[in-house]
Amino acid sequence: MLKMFIESLKNLFSEPATLPGFGTEPPKGYRGLIVYNKEKCIFCTKCELVCPAGAIRFIYPEDGSRNLEYKYNPYLCIYCGECVRECPKEGALIQTDKMPEPATKEDNPNETWFEIEKLAEESKKKWQLALAKKRQEALKKAQQAKQGKKEDNQDKKN
Amino acid sequence: MGNKMIVPFGSQHVALPEPVRFVFETENEIITNVEVDVGYVHRGIEKACQTKIGYKQVAYVVPRICGLCSISHNMAYIIAIEKLLEFEAPKRAKYLRVLAHELDRIHSHLFAMAHVAEAAGYENLVMYLFRDRELVMECLELLTGNRVQFDYGCIGGVNRDLTPEVEKELRKKLKKLEERLFWFRDVYLNDYTLNLRWKGVGVIPKEMAEKYNAAGPVARGSGVRTDARAEFDALPYRELGFEMVVYEDGDIWARNMVRMDELLISMRMIWNVLDGLPEGNYKENVKGMPKGEAVCRWEAPRGELFYHVRGDGKQILTRMRVKTPTFSNIPVLKELFIGANYADVPAIIISFDPCLSCTAR
Ligand code: SF4
Ligand code: SF4
Repeated sequence: MLKMFIESLKNLFSEPATLPGFGTEPPKGYRGLIVYNKEKCIFCTKCELVCPAGAIRFIYPEDGSRNLEYKYNPYLCIYCGECVRECPKEGALIQTDKMPEPATKEDNPNETWFEIEKLAEESKKKWQLALAKKRQEALKKAQQAKQGKKEDNQDKKN
Repeated sequence: MGNKMIVPFGSQHVALPEPVRFVFETENEIITNVEVDVGYVHRGIEKACQTKIGYKQVAYVVPRICGLCSISHNMAYIIAIEKLLEFEAPKRAKYLRVLAHELDRIHSHLFAMAHVAEAAGYENLVMYLFRDRELVMECLELLTGNRVQFDYGCIGGVNRDLTPEVEKELRKKLKKLEERLFWFRDVYLNDYTLNLRWKGVGVIPKEMAEKYNAAGPVARGSGVRTDARAEFDALPYRELGFEMVVYEDGDIWARNMVRMDELLISMRMIWNVLDGLPEGNYKENVKGMPKGEAVCRWEAPRGELFYHVRGDGKQILTRMRVKTPTFSNIPVLKELFIGANYADVPAIIISFDPCLSCTAR
């Protein structure tokens, strides 16, 4: 008890342990928000696949091209950094030490994100269909070209 | 004949930050019967891990089971998976895993001890414990990049290396912390108030602890020699100077002293890791899919954590089962209450250091 008393007296005159009025700075290497760089991305969608929280989604273009749109939900992200480690292209995804701003009602983070999720799924289906169509057409063209060539050859032979 | 009374305790209670509900039947303040309900925060994590999430991602989902021993869940899971994949982590990774895990044990034990002190009404000791706990929280933040959810272990090693700058900071902070730990030990051993409040209260005899299968500091405080670290060979505990702490008394004071002495042992292991960290990779690539069955026993701060995984060569596991230490301690807790004074209930429950988010998952 005496010990506690002495310690308490000491603390009366020492500096406060908490900082009045300020938040603490995150240390170097703090795991925070993920930043995306479209120029470097090769659209492999590996980050979307490995994300445990599903915080990265890609919206696929309708024309079946590989120009995907990156969507990220900082409130769903658990900052594990798995996407950054998995990304094959260095610099396409970077983990910063920033924390997200708290979301307000105006941001409506839930509803907005649900729509994005829906859109991502639908657009992926459409994109796959479009891609399959494109492939079929390409196949047809190639076959036609082949046949044309054959006919040409036959014509020449005749 | 006294007055029979039914007293509910929880699921929200001022003395207990955890959602657990006890219904006590009391007679003249003495408890005659008790019912327990632990399922208030069930989140279905096991089910999600078996149906939705790939086995690599599960390593980042299971830590969310519990905030205080997140690293235990993470590592028990990855070690079980590594057994399935027949992979052995590099030596440096093993040392770093011990480092993170023991730091986590320190912060969890300090938290538990602070709560027990709070239940005894010893407010300034709580404040000191929490103030010095901040040091170890900062260490963990430096090492892993986050205060609570460390996401440190991954299948194949650990996610971050220990850089020389971080090591320097760690040494500085840990030195300060170690001094404080010795001071706390002195207080816990000699303080008049604490001895008066805790000695001889909530006594679990050795036979009872064995019969009801107690785990962790609760069992060790009753003289049962059980610690998964003593039998576990996936991490080099013995090499790093692990020693089991056992007290014979079985009361609240003994449980607390087990925690206190374990802090010092953890501290010793951490120094040994920092001094003897081997060179080499901290992470290696693992190939293959989990096929077959594996279990992992892991000593979490609250006792033995058990993981069972089964896979059939696909991305998603077919079975994942977690058994948490608090769940093992509920039967002995229930038995202990019969015949105890109602006024001792908060202190007894908190001396068990229950973690209900683990238990209900
Ligand atoms: S840090 Fe983790 S949760 Fe966040 S986007 Fe990357 S993989 Fe997903
Ligand atoms: S993993 Fe990297 S390269 Fe691939 S889609 Fe994501 S950001 Fe782009």
